[in-house]
Amino acid sequence: MALVRREEKLRCTKEPFIEDVGPRRIKSLRFSMFSGDEIRKLAEVQVWNNKLYNQDAKPAEHGVLDSRMGPANKLGVCSTCHGNFTECPGHFGFLKLTLPVLNVGYFNLILNVLKCICKRCGRILLSETEHKQFLKKMRNPKAEAIQKNAYMKNIRDRCKGPRCSNCGYVNGVVKKARASLTIVQDFGKMLDKSSDDCRAALSHLKGNQSCQVVHVLTPSKVLSLFRKMLDEDCELLNLYDRPEKLIVTDIAVPPLAIRPSAFVDFGRSSNEDSITSILRNIINTNSILREDLENAAPLFKCMDCWAHLQTQVVEYINSEAPSLTDSKYRGLIQRLKGKQGRFRGNLSGKRVEFTARTVISPDPNLKITEVAIPILVAKVLTFPERVSCHNIEKLRQCVRNGPFKYPGANFVVLLDGTRLHLKYGEKKNVAAELKYGYVVERHLEDGDVVLFNRQPSLHRMSIMAHRARIMPWRTLRFNESVCNPYNADFDGDEMNLHVPQTEEARTEALMLMGVQNNLCTPKNGEILVASTQDFLTSSYLITRKDTFYDRATFSLLCSYMGDGMEPIDIPTPALIKPVELWTGKQLFSVLIRPNAHTRVYLNLTTKEKIFSKPDGICPTMCPRDGYVYFRNSELICGQLGKATLGNGNKDGLFSVLLRDYNSHAAASCMNRLAKLSARWIGNHGFSIGIDDVQPGEHLSQQKRKEINDGYRECREFISLYGEGKLTLQPGCNAAQTLEVKITGVLNQIRAKAGDVCMRELHWRNSPLIMSQCGSKGSPINISQMIACVGQQSVGGRRAPDGFIDRTLPHFPINSKTPAAKGFVANSFYTGLTATEFFFHTMGGREGLVDTAVKTAETGYMSRRLMKGLEDLSVHYDQTVRNASGGVVQFVYGDDGMDPAKMEGKDGIPLNLDQLFMKIMATCPPGDKDILSPSEITEIVDCRFSKYDMSLEGGCSSAFKKSLSDFLDSRLAALRKTRSALQLDENHVGSRHSNKIEKVAANIAGITSKQLEVFLGTCIYRYHLKKVEAGAAIGAIGAQSIGEPGTQMTLKTFHFAGVASMNVTLGVPRIKEIINAAKNISTPIITTILNCDTLISARMVKGCIERTVLGEVAESIKIVLKNSQPSIVIKLDAQRSEDLRLGISSEIVQHAILTHPKIKLKPEDVRVVNSKKLRIFLPQGNRIKLQFELHTLKSILPKVVVKGIPTVERAVINSDKGKHHLLVEGTNLLAVMGIPGVCYEKTKSNHVIEVHQTLGIEASRKCIINEIQYTMSTHGMSIDSRHMMLLSDLMTCKGEVLGITRYGISKMKDSVLMLASFEKTAEHLFNASFSGREDQIEGVSECIIMGIPMQLGTGILKVRQRVDPLPELKYGPDPILS
Amino acid sequence: MVELLFEDIFTLTRIDPDGKKFDRVSRIEAHSEQFDMLMQLDVNTEVYPMSVGDKFTMVLAPTLSLDGTPDTGFFVQGGRKSLADKFEYVMHGKLYKISEESSGGPHVKVEIYASFGGLLMMLKGDPSNAANFELDQRLFLLMRKV
Repeated sequence: MALVRREEKLRCTKEPFIEDVGPRRIKSLRFSMFSGDEIRKLAEVQVWNNKLYNQDAKPAEHGVLDSRMGPANKLGVCSTCHGNFTECPGHFGFLKLTLPVLNVGYFNLILNVLKCICKRCGRILLSETEHKQFLKKMRNPKAEAIQKNAYMKNIRDRCKGPRCSNCGYVNGVVKKARASLTIVQDFGKMLDKSSDDCRAALSHLKGNQSCQVVHVLTPSKVLSLFRKMLDEDCELLNLYDRPEKLIVTDIAVPPLAIRPSAFVDFGRSSNEDSITSILRNIINTNSILREDLENAAPLFKCMDCWAHLQTQVVEYINSEAPSLTDSKYRGLIQRLKGKQGRFRGNLSGKRVEFTARTVISPDPNLKITEVAIPILVAKVLTFPERVSCHNIEKLRQCVRNGPFKYPGANFVVLLDGTRLHLKYGEKKNVAAELKYGYVVERHLEDGDVVLFNRQPSLHRMSIMAHRARIMPWRTLRFNESVCNPYNADFDGDEMNLHVPQTEEARTEALMLMGVQNNLCTPKNGEILVASTQDFLTSSYLITRKDTFYDRATFSLLCSYMGDGMEPIDIPTPALIKPVELWTGKQLFSVLIRPNAHTRVYLNLTTKEKIFSKPDGICPTMCPRDGYVYFRNSELICGQLGKATLGNGNKDGLFSVLLRDYNSHAAASCMNRLAKLSARWIGNHGFSIGIDDVQPGEHLSQQKRKEINDGYRECREFISLYGEGKLTLQPGCNAAQTLEVKITGVLNQIRAKAGDVCMRELHWRNSPLIMSQCGSKGSPINISQMIACVGQQSVGGRRAPDGFIDRTLPHFPINSKTPAAKGFVANSFYTGLTATEFFFHTMGGREGLVDTAVKTAETGYMSRRLMKGLEDLSVHYDQTVRNASGGVVQFVYGDDGMDPAKMEGKDGIPLNLDQLFMKIMATCPPGDKDILSPSEITEIVDCRFSKYDMSLEGGCSSAFKKSLSDFLDSRLAALRKTRSALQLDENHVGSRHSNKIEKVAANIAGITSKQLEVFLGTCIYRYHLKKVEAGAAIGAIGAQSIGEPGTQMTLKTFHFAGVASMNVTLGVPRIKEIINAAKNISTPIITTILNCDTLISARMVKGCIERTVLGEVAESIKIVLKNSQPSIVIKLDAQRSEDLRLGISSEIVQHAILTHPKIKLKPEDVRVVNSKKLRIFLPQGNRIKLQFELHTLKSILPKVVVKGIPTVERAVINSDKGKHHLLVEGTNLLAVMGIPGVCYEKTKSNHVIEVHQTLGIEASRKCIINEIQYTMSTHGMSIDSRHMMLLSDLMTCKGEVLGITRYGISKMKDSVLMLASFEKTAEHLFNASFSGREDQIEGVSECIIMGIPMQLGTGILKVRQRVDPLPELKYGPDPILS
Repeated sequence: MVELLFEDIFTLTRIDPDGKKFDRVSRIEAHSEQFDMLMQLDVNTEVYPMSVGDKFTMVLAPTLSLDGTPDTGFFVQGGRKSLADKFEYVMHGKLYKISEESSGGPHVKVEIYASFGGLLMMLKGDPSNAANFELDQRLFLLMRKV
């Protein structure tokens, strides 16, 4: 601004031409440092006055609050640009320091530079050749920032030599002094013999004066050294700019806009910002220092003052620096870093307008896409609507109503941009004068698009676009079906609402974030928006086999579905005589297809929880009606429950509707179901009372029997244990075995009691209904209420001993009985005894602690994952690349499919069985003849040879194979049917030729039309499931892995086949994998054997497991003979033979000699015979020898004679008669090398070790498998494509990088992104040291700079073809050409 | 005259072979005399009680009209004369599956499945008896005790 004004004064005779370049976009950002001169040039004012305000409360001239740096508060005016508090951006001032000081941020970098240069001439301490070599490397344009840093480290290591090749000066070692922030040069090591003389000469002085030769390198000395440095040397040290800029000579005083001053106490005093206060202190110290220097004060005083100035400058930059004892101020770094800091708090996330937040409540009468907004809220949130001929009357009315009457408006924006507030002024006039093109900020109305969100926003479905419905009262309301994606309940949860302000934003929100378009989770393609709780219960009760409705009731129920607004075709009653009755299942058929105009033909089969397979006949005949079969939108059989209607499945009703038809079909079906069931259950009533949990006589008896049986079994185990006769389980001692066995028995008691409950309870029992249909509760919950609460566990074991050898003083010492170790035999209904209650609280407490801890843990994990994967997206060439264009995957997930659209299990694109069934049902064969097997193969082959089934056409071979396999299975079925009916397998006769032929056609026939449609649908749908270019696949992957983490219980152990072998699972394990931890808590190598017999397993186990000498020696004795004392080792050959160890005395000799603590020569350890060794010690002092012998004797039993030292133990695991080994410990290479081990099949769960042993590809696979395994043990299925992406990112640099601050800083090179992640200040200082340039490509950088990112819809770029300009010819055309 | 798809006299052998699961509906198992068919059928026993040993005629027809006009799928109210007049218990439903017996043998039997609004029927017998049936056919089941 100031510059502009000055230019105005300059009168030009001719207006200079200034090209209008239009709006500019920041392309890149370079970090560098300011020198003192530059700071002074930038500044508007020099600051030296320590006063803030004058007597008249005006900012003091040249003070920290000088008005030339901007207005200090709302009252002031900037004297540089004459703007007020909101207009003036602020201007810098400068503060000249009397003596230079160090910048804490650069302290380590300064130290590094100093280490590399000569402390006399400032040249680098490298030889000429090395200098050239490194310079060449540094100047390599391909070298990345990380590489350059590595070179710099190399150079620093090479600069150890003390003598400068240039001037011959002998340098000392540069290090940080013990006192804070001083750099010293230590000559201690340079001193040669001559110093001894010096020391001797000084020795007569008092005190222990050590002859320390330490020179302090003061900041001014450092500055002068840096000034002497050559530019070439700077380049070598990765310095972008002159090194003297690292030293602070002038301080840029920041504008007042960032450190406002506020008057308190009616203007009597002011409240100052930390920075203002610190700067003021600096000014004080600075002036004292100058005075001291000018007045030639004693040196120590000056030095003290200088040091004080230094600490204050440190405080200004970093008030939490370790050199400072606690500071009460916030330095510059503190403003930037942390969650509330500038980067994370203000740049990456901003506060927004047009938002609402209130309590939520349910409303089944709303559509799933709607949200009810209170009128109160709707009057504040507005949408700017442009006036056009279509809406002018509506908007006129809005304007007339004004801001206080509901469908009103708050502002009108005229064509010239002036805003009229409708609170003031004549609304009628404004309404009358409304013209096309005006913008009316009207109240929210029905149908407006709003974004709805609930924290924690763990996945993208946590914020979705709904349609507004303005309703009375004070809560936000929505359909319960949408609870799942938000993970919301109505126990007082609050949710947020945002209103997009432009038409573009609305459309984009609706298309990408609309509820209808997010019914499925991209985690694994399962449906997320689906019926819950009461909807399931009422559907379950409606579809019971014995619910019948007469005409009146049935019609009433039909009208419930859609507010009586849509036409409904009542079907023929199932029972015509003796009375007309409709079944509940017919009601559901109506619900799915209300009238003949609805062209929805639903075909699906699912197995509900209650399903039990009837023997010999079709599963539809399940006696408990658990097999759900919809055929052409008619419910044939089955009682609907969670598996059909609920969330988290892929072949349920809504998923099938969504895939086979569209999201609208699924959504409208959900709407109908919600209305029907809410109204139905309101009439029917559903409640739970005390009689629901009262066990009957029979049930109590059964329970008593179960408990008595279990207790008796436990007593038997305990008595066996007492006698020591318990047969041990592999890898367990007696106590562990006992625990395992008792725990097994006790867990069974509760399970059995649950079974009895489920069997014995009346079908009207409410908890039973809820558990069976899956709306709430499990059999275990019922069993706990009615029969038996069961074993309480703390840390995965039975209750621990809180007293000496017992849990509570109510029990005898060392009691292992179920009751004494936390088994609760009572139910919640009968009530718990005092001890049971106490044990129950112990278990409950653990659960509470667990949830509290895991929230923080998983939150941080998700954040790291997000930062690591945020910029990965699919490009138009199907590759997955990061923001700078580096390829992470060539094809996303190996097949380029979108995980959200996968229909089959385990991420397979299509569920062929279901699709085939649908085609067969919807394309009736009619009179067409069926195809013979050979005809089918012919048609299939013909279709497969087309372009869209080829690899170039984008069809993966896996899909092709699955399709042809499926058709083969159909062919086999056809052949089987025909042979069973005694027809010719390969030649199919006409449908009309023969009765049997017709039956066969009805059973398994396929017509050519059916086959054609089936193949066509499969292929068409497969191609639709490709992932779209621009999809932010990285963010989705991070969410898909992070979100399930929150649901995992924190500490879980799992027995890897063998009871004694615990494997870390849950969040800690995921953390280990993602961090690429070097040391994991339970490394396990699964060893497959060449020969899986027990004997060979034992032999291999002997080779792997560590055997120490003490275990195989019969005796180790000291023999004291007068000639020569020695130690005699006798080996136990029998034992070695039994365990198949094959240890000879030579092996023992070798082991002793190679033991690191024993230093003996080969001739000292003599082999006497195959089982006897004798160790002699070298002759010497007799007493000393005695001692040595005893120490040796104590070491010897621990010498490892055989096996891998890093292996803790190996356990044989038997699986169906096949034996393999589980090795606890590391060193995969050694295990693979052991004879008898099948090295191709041996696996380890240690990612880093796999990388070191087998390479990067193996480690990639290992990461995928381990995450998949950990997730699956918690019952969570995640599409493997997400895991692939994560592990590809972790391994794409050639080494396994963890998703930690170290790993991420190696993966990304954007400074802004790294600064917004962790270690903000460090990254910024390093970046300015080496002059890093940020290209603003990634997501974080774009958000920080406010630029649209190159992801999703932003991947699109419009380019215009510009015709080349016609070439101008100079001179006339040649006469002759 | 209406063409019946199937007609036979059955004897009820068992009620609820897997135990009683529903209050108002029982699954009956019956054998036919003429064609030696096995039938499993869910019957609303509240409105039409049945007991073991009952003998009844069971007819499967594509339409209830006496002149054989095909069933439209729409229910027409009114007391027109129909096939149902002669029977005590009439159900309407749909044939949804025909399959061969899963346990193979030389004389394989064919199973016909129909659902009457969730009340299921399974008819097992010789393949030749299944020839009249088509998939997705609308069926009327008529019963009369004899």
